[in-house]
Amino acid sequence: MARRIFIGLGISLILTLGTISSAQEATPADNSMGASMASQAADAESRAGFRSLDKDVQDLKKEVLDLNRDLFLLEEELLFPANSQVAFFISMDVGEYFELDSVNLKIDGKEVANYLYTEREVGALLRGGVHRVHMANLKTGDHELIAIFTGKGPHTRDYRRGATMSFNKGIGAKYLELEITDRVKKQQPEFVIKEWE
Amino acid sequence: MMNVKNCLLGILLSVLTATSLAASNLIGQAAPDFALKSSAGDNLRLSEYRGDVVMINFWATWCGPCRQEMPLLDELYSRYQRVGFSLLGVNIDDDSAKAMNMVSELGVSFPVLFDARKEVSKLYSVDAMPVTVLVDREGNVRYVHQGYKPGYEEKYLDEIRSLLRE
Repeated sequence: MARRIFIGLGISLILTLGTISSAQEATPADNSMGASMASQAADAESRAGFRSLDKDVQDLKKEVLDLNRDLFLLEEELLFPANSQVAFFISMDVGEYFELDSVNLKIDGKEVANYLYTEREVGALLRGGVHRVHMANLKTGDHELIAIFTGKGPHTRDYRRGATMSFNKGIGAKYLELEITDRVKKQQPEFVIKEWE
Repeated sequence: MMNVKNCLLGILLSVLTATSLAASNLIGQAAPDFALKSSAGDNLRLSEYRGDVVMINFWATWCGPCRQEMPLLDELYSRYQRVGFSLLGVNIDDDSAKAMNMVSELGVSFPVLFDARKEVSKLYSVDAMPVTVLVDREGNVRYVHQGYKPGYEEKYLDEIRSLLRE
């Protein structure tokens, strides 16, 4: 009887030890798995965090750009209200008898613009480009525009010519075009100021 | 009354500080655009050099260090011109003939522009002579040097090389 009890105790002891040792073997593996899962989750979380931060920065940038555009438009509207706005444009047609160097604009005797044209800009004008040389606000009534063109005339001689125009500024915006054309008959350039309808 | 006076003085001081800061604040900002007549007779516009590293050197005939510096700048120009470096010498004399004489005397080859109306030097708040401004390929002011001392050319060289590498 006592022998049976001893055998029973021995078996239960062996089983208990086995369970403990197997439990001891399993613990590090379980721990490492748990840790790696936790770190993966943390990684994913931080990546998602970065992504959302990046998106926030992009959104913020977009908002800044939008705001900048709105401010620019607002500033232009305030500084140059459409009703009192007058814009002056330069254009060139052919240009065989005149090589443009600069344009000087005077409104009512006051110099408002002095623009030097580079070779590229003259090339752009000759290809049909139109350059807004000045924009101003003028009150309604009569005004006088004097445009002085300098450059090289026929036979590459220094050339300086003025064109004057009186115009009436009504209620709406006004656009004036200063056109440089060739007068083939006279072999001279011609400077014409036109009003856009 | 005293308070009003102090207030006005404060406003004046802050305005003065703001204007003096404007010169040093040019670094990191877009280089103000300008067009000037060059010694070759054509007009040159800064914005047309976008994509190049541009050095703008403000000088005058009456300035001794400018005379010292210009041949050294010309060496830099000749060396780096073919890899996207441009140099614009802006002369601020009232009489451009004097400037032309000095250019031919020194034998410099970079374009010299005439700012007789001082509009461009005002735009860059030039308050010393010479003033050298380095503009990067994007058109932003990156370095500003006021005056010239022997050895500055080494600084210019380093800065030009680093801007060309960008």
